[in-house]
Amino acid sequence: MILNLFFIISALLGFSIFFSKSKTLTKIIVIFFGILHISFTVYTWTRIGITDLIYFTYDNLAVLFLSILSIIVTAVIYHGFIYVSKDALRKYNIYHSSLILLVTCMTGAYLSNNLAALWIFAEATTLAVAGLIYHDRTTVSLEATWKYVFLSSVGITLAFIGILFISMMMNGTPYNDLSFASISEVAVNAKPLYLKIAFLFIFVGFGTKMEIFPMHTIGIDANAVAPSPIGALISSGLVNMGFITLLRVYGALSGSDIFEWMNKILIIVGLLSLLTAAGYMLKAKHLKRMFAYSTLENMGLVAIALGVGGNGYYAAILLLILHSFIKSSLFIQMNQLYRVQGTLWLDNSGRYLKTFPAGALVLIIGAVSIMAFPPSGLFLTEMMIFKALVLNGNWFVLISAAFLLCCIIYATTIRVMHVVFSPPREKPDFVADEKVSPYETVSQYIFLTIIIVLCFYQPPFLKGMIEQTVKILFN
Amino acid sequence: MINYLSVMFAITIVYLAVTDRFVVYARLLGLQGFILFGITLAELHKASIGDLIFISSETFFFKGLVVPYMINVIVKNTRVEKVNTEALSGFYELLLIIISLFISIFMAYTLKNPYVDTVFLTIAFFTMFSGLIIIVTHRLIISHLIGFLVLENAAFLFSIAVGSEMPMMINIGTLLDIFVGVLILGFFGMKIKPNIDQLTQLKD
Repeated sequence: MILNLFFIISALLGFSIFFSKSKTLTKIIVIFFGILHISFTVYTWTRIGITDLIYFTYDNLAVLFLSILSIIVTAVIYHGFIYVSKDALRKYNIYHSSLILLVTCMTGAYLSNNLAALWIFAEATTLAVAGLIYHDRTTVSLEATWKYVFLSSVGITLAFIGILFISMMMNGTPYNDLSFASISEVAVNAKPLYLKIAFLFIFVGFGTKMEIFPMHTIGIDANAVAPSPIGALISSGLVNMGFITLLRVYGALSGSDIFEWMNKILIIVGLLSLLTAAGYMLKAKHLKRMFAYSTLENMGLVAIALGVGGNGYYAAILLLILHSFIKSSLFIQMNQLYRVQGTLWLDNSGRYLKTFPAGALVLIIGAVSIMAFPPSGLFLTEMMIFKALVLNGNWFVLISAAFLLCCIIYATTIRVMHVVFSPPREKPDFVADEKVSPYETVSQYIFLTIIIVLCFYQPPFLKGMIEQTVKILFN
Repeated sequence: MINYLSVMFAITIVYLAVTDRFVVYARLLGLQGFILFGITLAELHKASIGDLIFISSETFFFKGLVVPYMINVIVKNTRVEKVNTEALSGFYELLLIIISLFISIFMAYTLKNPYVDTVFLTIAFFTMFSGLIIIVTHRLIISHLIGFLVLENAAFLFSIAVGSEMPMMINIGTLLDIFVGVLILGFFGMKIKPNIDQLTQLKD
C-alpha cells in the first residue's frame, strides 16, 4: 500500500512539475519529493525482510542503498537548485521532472526481487538520465546524450537477451516468475552453457549502468557532461543500481556449476577496468573526466572483490557505500570549481586554494579519500581486498592491481595538486569572477566526514546489514 | 510455413550486409517487420487474444510501417543516402555475416533444448550478430540506428523462441521495441545531423 502510494505520488509530482508556472512552485514540489523519499526510506527500515506488491522486497541490501540514495538525493536537490537557478522555467521544470523520475526508478530497481521488474526500472532510468544529460543543450551534451541513450539501449537489449536465456532455462520447471529466488533454485540443475551465456549478456548489459569495462565509456561521457549534481547522482545512485543488479544475478547463480567461472570473469573484467582507468587517467586533461575514470577504477576493484570472494563480498559492498559519498562530494565540488575558475580543463586551472579555500580543501580531502589513503574508509576496503587476494594466492592479480593503483594515485595526485596550488599553465581567455559561498560546501564536508568516521568505526547495524546481505545472497 | 518465413528473414539480413543505400535499409527493415508479423501469427496461436493482438499489431504497424517511414524521413531531412565510404566494404561485411551465420548454427545446436525452437534460435543469434556487426563496422549514425533496429529484431526473435512458455517476456520485448525505437528514431534521429565529425568532441 505504502509502496504503491510512493510510486503514484512520485509519478504525480514528476508530472505536475510540467504544469508549474513558477520556479518557487517547482522548488516546493521537489522539496516535497525529497521529504517523501526520506519518509519512504525510513518506512523501509521498519519492513526489512518483507515483500510488497509481489515484485519488491525490503531486504538489507535494498534498504541500505536506498538510505544512501536518500542522503545523496537531498544534497543533489539542494545543489541542483543552485545549478539551474539561472535557467528558463521550461528547462528548470524538465530538469526537476527528470530528476524525480530518475530517483523513483532507481528506488524501484533497488527494491525489485524480480529480474524482469528490475530490467524495466533500469530501462526507465535511461530515459530520465537522457533528459538530464541534455540539460545544457550544447553540441557536447547532445553527443553525450546520444551516446548514452544509444549504448544504454544496446546494453538493455543485450541484458534482455540474457534474461531470455534465463527464461529458456526455466522452461519445464515449476519456476517461471523470474524472481531471484526462483532463478537461484533453477540454476543449481541448469545447463552451464545457458547460465554462462545469460550471465555474460546480463553482465555486459547492466555494465552500462555500473560503468564497468567494456561498457564504461558512456558513463564517462555522461558524468563529464551532465550537470554536476546529476554527475554526483549518476556516479553514486545509478552505479549502485548496476551493482545491485549484478550482485543479485551473481548471488542467484552462485549455487550453480559456473560459480568459479563467474569469479574468473569478474577478476578479468576488474583488472581490465583498472587498466583502462589507469591509462586514461594518466593522460586526462579534464578534471571531471579524470574523476569519472576513477569510478571505473573503483568498479574494477568491486568486481575483483566479488571475484575473490570471502571477505571480498563485505569489502565490495562497503567500498560501494564509501565510493557513493566520496564521488558525490567530488562531483558537486566540480560545479563550484567551475563557477570559481570558469573551466575544468587542467591547463587553464590553478591556484584554487587561493581563490576558494573551502572548495580546495574539499578537493584535497576528496582526492585523498578516493585514493584510499588513511583516514579514508576506502583504505580499509582495499586492505580487505588485498588480504583476500593474498589468502587466495592470487599474486598476479594482486601485483597487477597494486601497480595500476599506483599509476592512478600518481595521476590523481599531480592533477589535483596542480589545480589547488600551481598557477594555470595557460592563461584562460575568459574571466570567471563568480563568488561561491563557503556554506555551499557543507554537504561535501558532511559526506567526507562519514568516510573518515567509517574508517575508524563501522556501526554494528551497518556491519550486520552487510553481513546479512552476504549470507542471504550466497547461501 | 514458419521455416520459410525464417529463411526469408535470414535472407533479408544477408541483403542488409551488402546494400549501401538507406532507402533499401528502410525497405528491408519494413519487410523484416512483416515477416515477424507472419511468424507471430504462426507461432503464437496458443497465446491469449489480448497478447496476440498486442504483439502482432506491434510487428505489423510499428516494425512494418512506422520504422521504415521514420528512416525515410530521417534520410529525406538529412540528405544522406548512402553509408560512409570509409565504412567496411560490402564484401568484407558479407564475409563477417556469413561467418556469424555458421557460429549461430553451431551455438543454436549446442544449446538444443526441447522447449526452444532451434531454427528460431539460429536466426535470432544470426540477427543479433548481424546487428552488432553493422553497429561496429559502420561510421554514420543512421547506420548505427539500423544496426540497433536489427538487434531489436533479434531480441524479438529470442523472445518468440521462448514465447509460448512465457508470453510476458514477449510483451516486455515489444514494449522495449516501441520505447527505445521511438526515443532513438523520433528524437535523436531527427535531431542529430548525420555528419559523424559533429559527434567526436568528447574524447580524452
